[in-house]
Amino acid sequence: MIRKLFGMVDRADRPRFIRWVGLLVAFSVLQGTCVLLVVPVLRPLLNGDREAAVPWLVVLAAVTAATCAAFYAQALHGQQIADDLLLGLHHRVGDHLARLPLGWFGTGRHGRLTHSMSQGTANIIGVPAHLMQPVVSAAVTPAVVAVGMVVFDWRLATALIIVGLLLLATHNWSQAAIARSFAAIDSAAVESASRVVEFAQRQPVLRAFGRIGEDNRLLDDALVGQRRAYGEMSRNAVTALIAFSTAVQAAFVALIAIGVTLALGGSLDPAELIVLLVLVTRFVGPLIEVVDHAAALRMASEDVDRIDEVLAVRPLPEGHTTRADRPGEVCFDGVTFGYGDAPVLRDVSFAARPGTLTAIVGPSGSGKTTILRLVARFWDVDTGTVRVGGTDVRELTTEALADQLAMVFQDVYLFDDTIEANIRLGRPDATAAEIREAARLAHVDEIVDRLPDGWHTRVGEGGVSLSGGERQRVSIARALVKRAPIVLLDEATAALDPHNEAAVTAAIRGLAEQRTLLVVAHRLHTVASADQILVLDGGRIVQRGRHADLIDQPGRYRDFWRERERAQGWRLTVVR
Amino acid sequence: MTRPTRPERKAQRSGLSVVLAPVRTRLAVAAALQLIGALAGLAPYIAVVEIAREFLGGNAVDRGEVWLWVAVAAVGFVVRTACATSAYTISHVADADVGLQIRRDTAERLSRVPLGWFTRRSSGQVKRVLSDDVTAVHHAVAHVVNDLVAAVVTPLVTLGYLFWLDWRLAVICLGPLVVWFGLVAYMMRDEDARTARWSAELDKVNAAVVEFVDGIAVVKAFGQVGRAQDRYRHAGDDLARFLSEWAGPMRHLDSLASLIISPPVLLLAALGGGVWLDADPAEVVAFVMLAVGLGAPVLALGFGAQAMQVATDAAGRVAELLATPELPVAAEPRHPVGARVELDGVRFCYDGRATVLDGIDLALEPGTVTALVGPSGSGKSTLARLLPRFWDVDEGAVRIGGVDVRELPERELYRHIGFVFQETSLLRTSVRDNIALGRPDATFAQVEAAARAAQIHDRITALPRGYDSVVGEDAHLSGGEAQRVSIARAILADTPVLVLDEATAFADPESEAAVQDSLSRLISGRTLLVIAHRLHTIRGADRIVVLSGGRIVECGRHDELVAAGGAYARMWAAQTVASEEPA
Repeated sequence: MIRKLFGMVDRADRPRFIRWVGLLVAFSVLQGTCVLLVVPVLRPLLNGDREAAVPWLVVLAAVTAATCAAFYAQALHGQQIADDLLLGLHHRVGDHLARLPLGWFGTGRHGRLTHSMSQGTANIIGVPAHLMQPVVSAAVTPAVVAVGMVVFDWRLATALIIVGLLLLATHNWSQAAIARSFAAIDSAAVESASRVVEFAQRQPVLRAFGRIGEDNRLLDDALVGQRRAYGEMSRNAVTALIAFSTAVQAAFVALIAIGVTLALGGSLDPAELIVLLVLVTRFVGPLIEVVDHAAALRMASEDVDRIDEVLAVRPLPEGHTTRADRPGEVCFDGVTFGYGDAPVLRDVSFAARPGTLTAIVGPSGSGKTTILRLVARFWDVDTGTVRVGGTDVRELTTEALADQLAMVFQDVYLFDDTIEANIRLGRPDATAAEIREAARLAHVDEIVDRLPDGWHTRVGEGGVSLSGGERQRVSIARALVKRAPIVLLDEATAALDPHNEAAVTAAIRGLAEQRTLLVVAHRLHTVASADQILVLDGGRIVQRGRHADLIDQPGRYRDFWRERERAQGWRLTVVR
Repeated sequence: MTRPTRPERKAQRSGLSVVLAPVRTRLAVAAALQLIGALAGLAPYIAVVEIAREFLGGNAVDRGEVWLWVAVAAVGFVVRTACATSAYTISHVADADVGLQIRRDTAERLSRVPLGWFTRRSSGQVKRVLSDDVTAVHHAVAHVVNDLVAAVVTPLVTLGYLFWLDWRLAVICLGPLVVWFGLVAYMMRDEDARTARWSAELDKVNAAVVEFVDGIAVVKAFGQVGRAQDRYRHAGDDLARFLSEWAGPMRHLDSLASLIISPPVLLLAALGGGVWLDADPAEVVAFVMLAVGLGAPVLALGFGAQAMQVATDAAGRVAELLATPELPVAAEPRHPVGARVELDGVRFCYDGRATVLDGIDLALEPGTVTALVGPSGSGKSTLARLLPRFWDVDEGAVRIGGVDVRELPERELYRHIGFVFQETSLLRTSVRDNIALGRPDATFAQVEAAARAAQIHDRITALPRGYDSVVGEDAHLSGGEAQRVSIARAILADTPVLVLDEATAFADPESEAAVQDSLSRLISGRTLLVIAHRLHTIRGADRIVVLSGGRIVECGRHDELVAAGGAYARMWAAQTVASEEPA
């Protein structure tokens, strides 16, 4: 665990970390020495020779003073490390996550990840702050006592070593048992946490379908599963929790019995017996202390492991090219890609020249959105290359690629902040005037006028307090303010109400004049006006060309167009 | 969720007692057993002291006496082990029970609060209470009670015994402990306020994390390149800053306090004191064994008190949540007749702020289609959500089959109203269970029939595990596909009243045609309320209701409204231009 923790500490702070571990060891060795000094003090005392104890008492006082100094120094070091760790970890984990492929953020990670990133980091810092000292002391101090004892009396030393090994075995066994149960508890807790988040986020649908209280089986099953995991842990862990203290007491009682037998038989000096019994209690002291912290330590070590796992996930390799040669160009060359085993795109090649509009059409699941995601390098292709601005996206730095692109997503996510801040996300250094202009173009200003706090209205988690259409307009403004040469648009205007649809269409058209537009298109007029239409089916481009060329050929495109026209003319009618 | 202020502290204390009420007796038994165990645990140490006295007494050793003390040590050991085992078992089982019960009660309660409660909070906050806070309470049940008893009783009994042996030496050994208590009391003096601050800061981090992970796609697309979202970092920074402000000044004192009761210091006190006072050597042995060991349980007391503080704080939040007012339940539930829906003089506003709906009078006749149209924010979605009673109206009434929704039993209400949502509404469970959400007892044939009617059956069978594929795990559905699954859900629920919230908004062209076919099947014979953005889809509606600024401004059939030349006619003209003029 020390090694993993060391890996999490900022490089600059590592010398302090090493000093801290050194101080911990020094403290533990000194503490062991103090315990050993009980022997020369107590032995003359028990034999009635008080004077002989005094010089050793002075030595004990001196060593105690040194021990205290070491303790004080290690405590301050540990707390400083804890502070720096808390500050640094959020940054490191956050920065790291932002560089992982989007595919990594699947289901099931949500609950675990959010726990690790909030409560988890708070638990971890307990380790340097106060949990590590008992652990190191528990290992070093008894060892020092046992080794030092050889100097005084080999028989006592042997007895201590045997007791120590037995206690160590008990401790390891009980910790392993607890760890097993806690792994089960942990996965049950993660499942339950992610069900709780789902419960909160999907509340409308759960209610509309009467899944209330225990009728919400998904949540209730997770809660009962958590109860069951706890129950199972109790059976294992109760034994484990008391095993150590029981073993200490048992060893003590056994030593009393054996010692008394030997002393009564005359083969053991009674004073020797008493000193041994006293030493056993001091010998196990550090071990008992670590047991007191066992629960907190285990939780922290799980959090350390989890964050370590996250940090160990390899980010998409970073490229080195900082400037695109041909801004605004997008080019796919023999691209094959799948999220899992099954390929979603097969051998896709096309080029979108600067300043043109490319419309991607095709049925659900044909890979349209995936093309946009690969342009933005949310994932890396399996084979082939994606070039943006003339350069393979894998060779571009993240900044260089991001500078080229602006995106409007299908599922718009807004941050719980003001509308202005959400637009500003597109380009943090945009002036207020530029933000207002983008907002005007995307008709966000109308939303703002209506809201109680105007520009300062917070939009709620994910943008819940805005309607779907409103969220999309904000996200269009966000893309507009970015002023990137390439705009990726995913069914963007579908949810806009008629009043704004025309206006936003006009804004996007204006945008297209100087930019490359790659659109997953649904509206016929977008498709009809495209410089290039790519018709996807089953992950392949089955047709390509302009509307005028394609509409006369039999094939997917003509079917698509006709179906679409049928939908246009369709009415919601009741079969009476 | 709100930060507790001083006057609320009393409520918080009772929070813990409310939360622990169901297991109070069991906890008391566990504590009593723990107490007996702690006393019995002293026996072996007393035995050593007495044996030492026998051996060092100078007289002939009384063998019987010595063996008697060995027996005392053994019995004490057995009693202690038995007591500790039972106490731990009892408290752990109680702990598991109370955890499940609190979580169930809370989920149950939250399912009945006005929906606005959720929109005002992040899901991270809800998770914090239901998962983390309940776990903190758990900890109080399973460990803190046991540990506190052990940490308080063991040192007290030990000190009592040591005082009885030699009060002067006991006073010397007590000295460091007294100093420790003084320092800790000083450091803890406004612990409550700080724990509350800490928990508020942690709340912010929690909310920021949920947002960061959910919005990761946006962060990656715009996120200032390789940098985590700012809010997460700020929340993390604030937490760290608060910690260093809180703990910083205490650091030296804290280290000093731990130092003063560390084993070497107590050892020196016991041995030095013993020599100085020329105490009975057998009694010095007792002090070296017992007084030196006092530090550990006392330190545990410090940690226990902190955990208790966290648990109390958490229990306060849980209790507060359990006390959230529910939508009132009808005293005398009534049963609706028919499927006519009436809105009668409805006024509604969120949180007493801007009025969202005002003076809405509207009747939806069975077997007809009513379309709600109007600009974003005109109150369409809000109006639709009053039907399933996500909120209660401020004035007027919403009636279904002649009965006010507030007088309808919950289950009756959900049997009458179905809902197809605009945004994603699928749960992380099998596609089959998603479709059967409103009717968990439906047969597979019924589920499949609903999926066929919603034109999604073929897509589902193409999934890796067909109907058993889990949404978000091996079933990755497009917006239009997810929409059709929710339509299948509504078809299966088969309610007489149905609300479609912009049901075709996210459909892609091919699925739009499919969605519309499936909708046609869904709506026949029902009372239908449609929220529409695309006017062409509702051209054939029996009645089109135009909302603006929370009021009904126009009402009629498509042709009438177009001819009238009002708001609807303008919207129609704008949309016709938009869809006909090439981009």
